[in-house]
Amino acid sequence: MIEMRDVSVVYSGGVDALHQVNLKINDGDFAFVVGPSGAGKSTMIKLILKEIDPSEGSIYVNGYNLNKLRRRRIPALRRTIGFVFQDFRLIPSMTVYENIAFVLRVVDAPPKYIKKRVPYVINLVGLEGKARNYPNELSGGEMQRVAIARALVNDPQLIIADEPTGNIDPEMSYEIMELLQSINEIGTTILMVTHEHSLVRQFGGRIININQGQVVFDEIVGGNLINES
Amino acid sequence: MRASGIRYLLGKGFENIWKNRMMAFASFCVLLISLLLVGLSVLVSINISSMIGGMEDKNEVIIYLQDDATDMEISELYGELCRMENIAEANFYSKEDAFEDMKASMSDAELLFDSLGEDNPLVDSYRVRVADISRIDETLARIGALQKIESISAPMDFVNVLMELRQIISIICAVIIFALIIISIVIIANTTKASVFSRRAEIQIMKYVGATNSFIRIPFFVEGMITGFLAGCGALAITWYGYDSLIDLLTGGTNVISIFGVSSVIQFKDVFVPVTVAYLASGTFFGALGTVFSTRKHLNV
Repeated sequence: MIEMRDVSVVYSGGVDALHQVNLKINDGDFAFVVGPSGAGKSTMIKLILKEIDPSEGSIYVNGYNLNKLRRRRIPALRRTIGFVFQDFRLIPSMTVYENIAFVLRVVDAPPKYIKKRVPYVINLVGLEGKARNYPNELSGGEMQRVAIARALVNDPQLIIADEPTGNIDPEMSYEIMELLQSINEIGTTILMVTHEHSLVRQFGGRIININQGQVVFDEIVGGNLINES
Repeated sequence: MRASGIRYLLGKGFENIWKNRMMAFASFCVLLISLLLVGLSVLVSINISSMIGGMEDKNEVIIYLQDDATDMEISELYGELCRMENIAEANFYSKEDAFEDMKASMSDAELLFDSLGEDNPLVDSYRVRVADISRIDETLARIGALQKIESISAPMDFVNVLMELRQIISIICAVIIFALIIISIVIIANTTKASVFSRRAEIQIMKYVGATNSFIRIPFFVEGMITGFLAGCGALAITWYGYDSLIDLLTGGTNVISIFGVSSVIQFKDVFVPVTVAYLASGTFFGALGTVFSTRKHLNV
C-alpha cells in the first residue's frame, strides 16, 4: 500500500517537482502512472524508494512511515518492493540465475530456499533453459523478464516498474504487460510508470496522470482487452 | 548473518578479482609501486642511518690520568668507567706504550728521544668509545667528575659534524618518505575509486534490491585486502631479490662500499621480519581502506 498526503518536493535549485500530491494505492491494485517528461513521475518513485525525502507531507509505503524511517532501515523497506527498470539494470558479470538469486542472498535466505525459489521464478517468467546465460546473451524482452523475475523473487508486496516496455519491441511489450498482469492477479500491487498511452488504453486499469507536479487525473479506465473480454 | 551468507560474500570478493581482473591488476600495480617506493626509501634511510652509526662508533675520547695515580686508583677508575652508562668500551693505554708508539711514529726524531733518556713525559690514559654520541656532553661531564683525571680530549668537531649530518639526513629522509606516502595514498585512492566507479551501476542495483551497505562493502573490502596483500607479497619479493643483489654487487668483488670507508650495510635477513610485516600489513590495510572510501560515495542511493 502506498499513501501520499499533501506531498511536495522542491529541489535545491527551486524546481517544484511535486506539489500537494494526495494519492492512495491499495494492496492488489494495478496502477499506471502517466505524464510527460519532467511531470514528476521519477520524483514520485524516488520518494517511494526513499531515495529522496519530501519537502512537505507524509508518505506511507507497505506499512513504513517514510518520514520517520531511519537511513539504516531503508534496506528493509526496499525488500518489500520489487523494482523493474527501463534499462533492465542486470549485473553483467552474473548469470540469469545469479542476478535473481542475488536478491535472496541480500535478505540472507537459506541456500535450500534459494535453490528452490529461483528456478521456480525463472519458469514463471518463461525463461526455462536460460538460467546459465549472461545478460549480454539475451534479447531485450528476455532481459526485462529477468528483471521482473528479480523483482518478483522476494515475493514483494509491491512492484514498481519504471517504463518496463520502453526498451523493447511492441510484441514483447505486450508479453511483458501480460506477465505483470498475471503477477498482479496473485495479489502483488503493481505501479507502472509509462509513456506508452497505447498500451495503457489497451490494458486499462487505474490511470494516474501527473502533470507539472500535480495529479490531474486518477480514475479506473476500462481497456480494450477488458472490453473485449 | 548465516555462515552461508558470509561464505558467499567472501567468495564474491575472490570472484570479483577475477571478473574485474583489469582493474584489479591496475590496483595491484599501483599498490605494488607505492609499497616499493616507500619501502625502498625506508631501507635506504635505515642504511644511511646505520652508516652514520658506523662512523659514530669510531669516536674516541681520551681520558688523561694524573701522573700520581696509583695502580689501584687506575684500576678503580676502569671499573667506574665500565659501570658508567653510555660507555661502550674503555681500554687502558699506559704511558710506556704511548711513549713507544710516539717513538715509532717519529723515527726521524731519534736525537730528541735520546736526550730525554729514561724520562717519559707522557701520562697514562684511557681510550673510551661512547655508545651514543648525541649524549656525549653529559657523559664527558660525568667522566670529568671522577677522581685522578688530568684532562679529557674529545673529538667534538667530529661529533658535531656527524650529529648535524644525521639530523639533516633524517629530515630529508622523513620528508621524502612522508611525501611518498601521501603520493601513494592519493594514487591508491584514485585507482580504487576508478575500480569502484566502473561498478557503480552494480552498487546501485544492490541498493535498490535492499542490500545493506555492509553487504555491498564486504566483497569490495575482501577484494581490496587480497589485492593489497598480493601487492605486499610482490613488493617483498622484489625488495628481497633487488636488495640482496645490490648488496652482493656493492660488497662482493671490489667491495665498492668499503671504498667509501663504510662497512655497516644492513643485510636483508636482519630486517626481514619487520619489512615483511610492514609490506603485508600496509598492503592489506591500504588495499582495504581504499575500497571503504571509494564505495562510500556510491552507497548514498
